[in-house]
Amino acid sequence: MRLEGTNLLPASVETVWKTINDPEALRRCTPGLKELKEIGPDTYQATLTIGIAAVKGTYAGTLAITDKRAPTHYKISLDGSGGAGFMKGEGTVDLEPQGDGTTLKWVGDLQIGGLIAGVGQRMLGGVGKMLIGQFFKCLEQHLGGGT
Amino acid sequence: MKPARFEYFCPRTVDEAVDLLARYGDDGKVLAGGQSLVPLMNMRLARPAVIIDINRIDGLGDLRERNGILRFGALTRQRAAERSPVVAERCPLLRDALRLVGHAQIRNRGTLGGSIAHADPAAELTAILSALDGEVTARSARGTRTIAAADLFVTYLTTALDPRELIVEIRIPALSPGAGWSWMEIARRHGDFALAGVGVVLVIRRGTIAEARIALTGVGPTPVRAGAAERLLVGHAPSDTLWTEAAEAVRAAVTPDGDIHASAEYRKHVAGVLTQRALREALSRTKEAA
Repeated sequence: MRLEGTNLLPASVETVWKTINDPEALRRCTPGLKELKEIGPDTYQATLTIGIAAVKGTYAGTLAITDKRAPTHYKISLDGSGGAGFMKGEGTVDLEPQGDGTTLKWVGDLQIGGLIAGVGQRMLGGVGKMLIGQFFKCLEQHLGGGT
Repeated sequence: MKPARFEYFCPRTVDEAVDLLARYGDDGKVLAGGQSLVPLMNMRLARPAVIIDINRIDGLGDLRERNGILRFGALTRQRAAERSPVVAERCPLLRDALRLVGHAQIRNRGTLGGSIAHADPAAELTAILSALDGEVTARSARGTRTIAAADLFVTYLTTALDPRELIVEIRIPALSPGAGWSWMEIARRHGDFALAGVGVVLVIRRGTIAEARIALTGVGPTPVRAGAAERLLVGHAPSDTLWTEAAEAVRAAVTPDGDIHASAEYRKHVAGVLTQRALREALSRTKEAA
């Protein structure tokens, strides 16, 4: 499942770069994040409770940031599993100056399998997009922008 | 398949039910017909700590019509509404849509309130509520409030209802006299969730469209009311060219997701085609008011 989006953030490329590399900001903005533990350079162990309405699952996995080209590009890989299924994803983030702000472009390929994918197929893409949207909206607020 | 452990309550009155909801909030889940909730629990995708079964509350399943408004108790079974002579006479659009909700066995248990509160993005009832500007009454320990369809549906499986609120009544305005209607949907198999569906109402006066209502399901996180397409129709004489324009306006208004069942492009295309067909069928059912 390919997901992508573009967000305009109200801060310079350097500031945005710092924020998206800051475990504290990631902790605050990742929807449903219960725990984020640094287990190596740019590698984290994460526990997330995500879902929608009554359909919620807890997933544990690792998140790694690689291919860093400061301050404009990195690759993010995600690998997790829980009672309702598993997910595996890879995406890239690219920053570009846009006036006083920064355009953040993200592209990701997410594979979700197991029970949740069998039953929730119809809504996975949309819900995934919505959660990623929440993440960036939170970053935007974190960086001092309006809604 | 068995659900995870939960505590079970069986209130006999709405007051008792909302007290329980106030006490358990997010941990509680209302059981109405159980046609969505119970499978989710059995697969353990949902693990509510507390189930509040409203099936034994008296009077929550009544269906009445007053001043052109159909009033359904939240627990009205979909099958009861589908077979009601009042619904057939005053709101055949609802009847036709209900016939495509799952299968008869599902509708025997499934309720109007349950389907609306569940807010599945491909549900028929949410689109009907939206098309006809229906509303729901929600009760909580703090009081009663009315929520209009336009404010009710937030996103996938999410409504503006607080976890402590219970839908007690659904109000759906009857169709205007002489109105034509149509419900059309496409599903991979009969009884499956619709890949796309549309409900249309048309009222014709002196040869032109006096009222147009179009709402779609399955093509976004919530039901989509196609306001731009409606405005394009009103005041004009019905014609195939006009239907094509309305279909284009509908395609522009929807943002479906693609999945293994159908691509986003296909859903968007079908939404337009169904709209054209539904407009044609609705027109054929209109009766000019004398």
